[in-house]
Amino acid sequence: MSLLHWVIFTPFLFAFIVPFIYKYIRPIHTGWFVLPIPAALFILVAKHIPQVATQGQLRETIAWIPSLGINFAINLDGLSLIFGLLILGIGALVVLYSIYYLSKEKEALHNFYVYLLLFMGAMLGVVFSENIIALYMFWELTSIASFLLIAYWYQRKGSRYGAQKALLITFFGGLCMLAGFLFLGKITGTYLISEIILQVGQVKGHPGFLPAMVLILLGAFTKSAQFPFHIWLPDAMEAPTPISAYLHSATMVKAGIYIIARFTPVFGGGQQWFWLVSGVGLITLFWGSFSAVRQVDLKSMLAYSTISQLGMIVCLLGLGSVALYYGPGEGGAFYITAILAAVFHLINHSTFKGCLFMVVGIIDHETGTRDIRRLGGLMSLMPITFTLAVIGSFSMAGLPPFNGFLSKEMFFTGILKAAQMDIFNMQTWGILFPIIGWLASIFTFVYCMLLVFKSFTGKYYPEKLEKTPHEAPWGMLLPPLVLASLVVLFFFFPNVLANYLLQPALVAILPGLVGLSSEIEIIAPWHGWTPELIMTLGVIGIGIGLFLTFRSWSKLYTYLPQRFTLNILYDQLLIKTEDISRKMTKGYMSGFIRDYLLYIFSFLVVTVGGALLFLDSFVYDPTGNSTINSYEIVLAIIMLGAALMVLFAQDRVVAIIGLGTMGYVVAMFFVVFRAPDLALTQLVVETVTTVMFLLCFYFLPRLEKEKVSSSFQAIRVVISMGVGVVVTALALSAQGNRLFEPISWFFENSYELAGANNIVNAILVDFRGFDTMLEILVFCIAGLGVYTLIKLGLTRRKQDESK
Amino acid sequence: MNNFVVLPLLIPLLAGLFMIIFRKNTILQRWLSVISFVLTTLVALYLLRQVFNQGIQIVNLGGWQAPFGIVFVVDMLSALLLVTTGIVSTLCVLYAFNSIGKEREGFYFYPLLQFLIVGVNGSFLTGDIFNLFVCFEVMLLSSYVLLSLGGTKLQLKETIKYVLINTLSSTLFVVAIAYLYAVVGTLNMAHLSVRVAEAGQTGFLTVVAIFFLIVFSLKAALFLYFWLPGAYSAPPPVIAAIFGALLTKVGIYALFRMFTLIFYHQPEITHILLGILAALTMVLGGLGAIAQKDIRYILSYNVIIGVGFIISGLAIFTPKAVIGAVYYLIHDMAMKALLFLLGGAIMTIVGSGKLKEMGGLIRNHPLLGWMFLIATLSLAGIPPLSGFVGKVLIIEEGLAKGGTNASFYWLAALGLFSSFLVLYSLLKIFINGFWGETLLSEDMEKGSTKGLLLPCALLVAIGIFLGVGAEWIYPYIEQAATSMLNPNIYIEAVLGEVI
Repeated sequence: MSLLHWVIFTPFLFAFIVPFIYKYIRPIHTGWFVLPIPAALFILVAKHIPQVATQGQLRETIAWIPSLGINFAINLDGLSLIFGLLILGIGALVVLYSIYYLSKEKEALHNFYVYLLLFMGAMLGVVFSENIIALYMFWELTSIASFLLIAYWYQRKGSRYGAQKALLITFFGGLCMLAGFLFLGKITGTYLISEIILQVGQVKGHPGFLPAMVLILLGAFTKSAQFPFHIWLPDAMEAPTPISAYLHSATMVKAGIYIIARFTPVFGGGQQWFWLVSGVGLITLFWGSFSAVRQVDLKSMLAYSTISQLGMIVCLLGLGSVALYYGPGEGGAFYITAILAAVFHLINHSTFKGCLFMVVGIIDHETGTRDIRRLGGLMSLMPITFTLAVIGSFSMAGLPPFNGFLSKEMFFTGILKAAQMDIFNMQTWGILFPIIGWLASIFTFVYCMLLVFKSFTGKYYPEKLEKTPHEAPWGMLLPPLVLASLVVLFFFFPNVLANYLLQPALVAILPGLVGLSSEIEIIAPWHGWTPELIMTLGVIGIGIGLFLTFRSWSKLYTYLPQRFTLNILYDQLLIKTEDISRKMTKGYMSGFIRDYLLYIFSFLVVTVGGALLFLDSFVYDPTGNSTINSYEIVLAIIMLGAALMVLFAQDRVVAIIGLGTMGYVVAMFFVVFRAPDLALTQLVVETVTTVMFLLCFYFLPRLEKEKVSSSFQAIRVVISMGVGVVVTALALSAQGNRLFEPISWFFENSYELAGANNIVNAILVDFRGFDTMLEILVFCIAGLGVYTLIKLGLTRRKQDESK
Repeated sequence: MNNFVVLPLLIPLLAGLFMIIFRKNTILQRWLSVISFVLTTLVALYLLRQVFNQGIQIVNLGGWQAPFGIVFVVDMLSALLLVTTGIVSTLCVLYAFNSIGKEREGFYFYPLLQFLIVGVNGSFLTGDIFNLFVCFEVMLLSSYVLLSLGGTKLQLKETIKYVLINTLSSTLFVVAIAYLYAVVGTLNMAHLSVRVAEAGQTGFLTVVAIFFLIVFSLKAALFLYFWLPGAYSAPPPVIAAIFGALLTKVGIYALFRMFTLIFYHQPEITHILLGILAALTMVLGGLGAIAQKDIRYILSYNVIIGVGFIISGLAIFTPKAVIGAVYYLIHDMAMKALLFLLGGAIMTIVGSGKLKEMGGLIRNHPLLGWMFLIATLSLAGIPPLSGFVGKVLIIEEGLAKGGTNASFYWLAALGLFSSFLVLYSLLKIFINGFWGETLLSEDMEKGSTKGLLLPCALLVAIGIFLGVGAEWIYPYIEQAATSMLNPNIYIEAVLGEVI
């Protein structure tokens, strides 16, 4: 058990203690006890930064199910280090924030912190796991923790709906990803990512390559809310705001991005990966920012903005994967920068978006609403919050001097280069990248402005608010303040970050192309009057114009078809599937025994009859049969007649007489075949059952003629004939197929073996005495059954009592 | 020869018979039931160790050498199932103390439960196909009486159907045995295996194999499951739990035995057919599960999905797939029992199984809620819970053949899809029943969960152990699969040097 394993397991272990702390130490907010965990672990992981920056990676393994190759193998490299620091760093800030956000009197804090710690441990597990099966385990645990956190206020309908939606979509993706992982495991014979990467050549040539890739991407896209799976994220905003800040913007939704980055060396370099990843990313980028503009709920706006920003990172990762197509050398150098931009923006997004969510949480907390139609003029009341909102939003909009500007410029570089690509059919389609990316950036700019200015400037409407707003307590301001300072710091010192964190991450994403000591592009705010800068200026210009005229064109959104949105598709899919299943199930599960018997008999006829024909195994071999006497024919005819009599009887007594006749004829056959003991038994049984039947009839209602349609009647005739034919054909074939001497010769000298002259008796009570004993038990149980049926009637008695 | 082998049948048999004499003394019956099941479990564990260390254990009943007499055989598969049955039945009987009610206790509930286990254990133990039929009868007769015990209208209505269909399947079973005996002239399973192998499983033997497949499919609720949802939702929860955990599993066991020990020569026909049926079962069962709005029916359809998934492993028929199937079988026994017991606790509180009549239960019953969630996740195959290892093995093997010669990827895909439907259908219970506005305040509740949660908690612990502790269990399951896929091990143990 190494130190890194403890990093993963500590949150889980502590989650068990939290309920007790909550129960026994009520006066102190439970959050204060939780806070040291992420803070201490953050320091612990941060201490590894120099080591990773110089050595590349750290590996530790403890066994779990070694027989199946499933172990807790840990890999700390540049990529997982960044994620680990984000999870723990933002985790600590979120816990601090939550202490002031959630009231210790009203809220079920133990639930909150148990789920939160569960998530933290699971998420660390996702990014540190080297074994893909363990990774999958942690992956699903994050989905479940998210499910529980979204429905933290489970009394609300919206929370339950959002939680279910999130879980169904991410679990679906998780299953796909598991299938993809298992494909990879089967192709390479290992579950270790590093070993899979070593066998890239084998993976690429395998027919399972494409399915594995698509399946794993489905997992990543659902988790990272990529189009068209993004629909769960806005509904997940029902969670408490600290959770939205933590899971649904900074960490969990980036798990998909982590997977894409992690598997770039396995799948990247080809056309399919490039198009799937960058295409989906680009669409998501645009659709997210386009939808964000129309939102009136601040959290929904941030949710769509998160979707859009995640799309941007995914798009950059897709572009960057081209580096693997070119391999080491000049051709791919540029694309490495795209990956650098992706990782850089990933960090930037976590800082400014975390800050913004916390700001929105403060607004919600202080005013009681998040609806921008009711907000306004908060600037003077909440100056610090306003400043934080400006820093966060302007960074997101891509303005200097904030870190978002740098990564946005790098993104523009990426899409401009994409337009010039001459592989993967990009000659035709490449131009779409800069156009769509630029349009998306304009919308991004617009909603960032809406976010800040709609809520903080303009007229103040105290009558629309539930509370009188004032500045938030310091404990709530401190965490976003830390993030906002990072936003500014990263702008001025991006290359510190680049050297210690980004470069090792690049090494992890593009092994073999980037070394720990190789040169990477310096991140700088000023490159001269480049096309990128002109694009940014265009974004600002047009953005301001659109923002000022927002009122006049925002109506356009109402013309969009409301009936065909993805959300409605999702809802309808669930409703329709349930409806169809219900109709179908009710259709065949009629509750009538006659239908069920019909299914069973038809199935028998089709499969066994079919097999008999298909395997050509019907044999009729009359040799060795004894000759048939005339009285045997007579007996057979009587039996047939009796059977028909039962079928067509109008009266129960007639039917019973028919049945009795059949039984007696069988007894006659036993006589003919010289089995007097069997004949006697048969006669006794027949007599007793007939008498019993006749006794019972006294209590039964008259036999009503069954009303069935003639077509159903015809089906029944066909099926019963079929069963008769199949069973007879099988019996004849069995007779004709005797392959071995039966073991019954052994019993023939029963006198010597068991001291019994009667072989049947010896078999029944000695050779197979156990059967007989158990059959006696069967009788005993049947007797008990009859007794309980007569004596114990729970509802009947209750009815009698009520009378 | 090892006389211990017969004990898992004999202990409950004697205990049950003894209890009949003291019908009114329920305290004695309760004690005896627990003692009997605990003792059976211990014997089963002892046998498990013996099989693990010394190989398959047998006893020739009455001293008659197989294949002429009846032989009881414990291989690893049987031993594992005996242990699981022992644990599940012990916990169910504990649950019954506080839930089954005075009336039923006074009318042979406990002895009938013992007899049911006699039938179940006998089926796992016997090495003779006719004796298997007899054990099935013991089990079925007990289940008929348990199902109708109490005589409510719903119970009687469902019992009639259940009895009719099972009588039909028993008739078909005897007919199938007759065909088989006519062709190969023996009833001992090991001997059958030898003779079928010698004859090379001719076309006609395959037809007989398919006939057996239908017989056991009826018992196992593989595709022919029409009788199940009604029958499993009529009796009190604890009886439904035992049915759901054990009865269909005996059918599955029989399919395992038949299609690994005897009819394994033409998998391209029999096992493909099994695969198709498994796929249909999972899909139709899954759709049935999501269509329901009553806990009892949702759970019953979930039993069906599980059957399909287990048989998928048998259909894929690679060593790892069989390991996965056995693993999943054991998991399913424990978790289905848990699910029905928890469902019973919910219905005790609410007084109904209808989803729309419940809500917000987690406020007053957090432990019940979390256990239900764990059971749900476990059945959906989420690691590190018990359903995962079996699921991964079966899916992976399905995909592997899919990758190379494209034969079972569809089954693997449907298997994954079925776990989605499992999650969806069970989550609906959790979201509707445990979350939302609390509809019942504590004094409005219809019944108390006193004494019901302990057995559930123990089953949850087993569920977690089966997943987290997979490495400890794995060698046993691997041995079970090895012996299943090498019939000679079984044959040598049973027939020795005779043949």
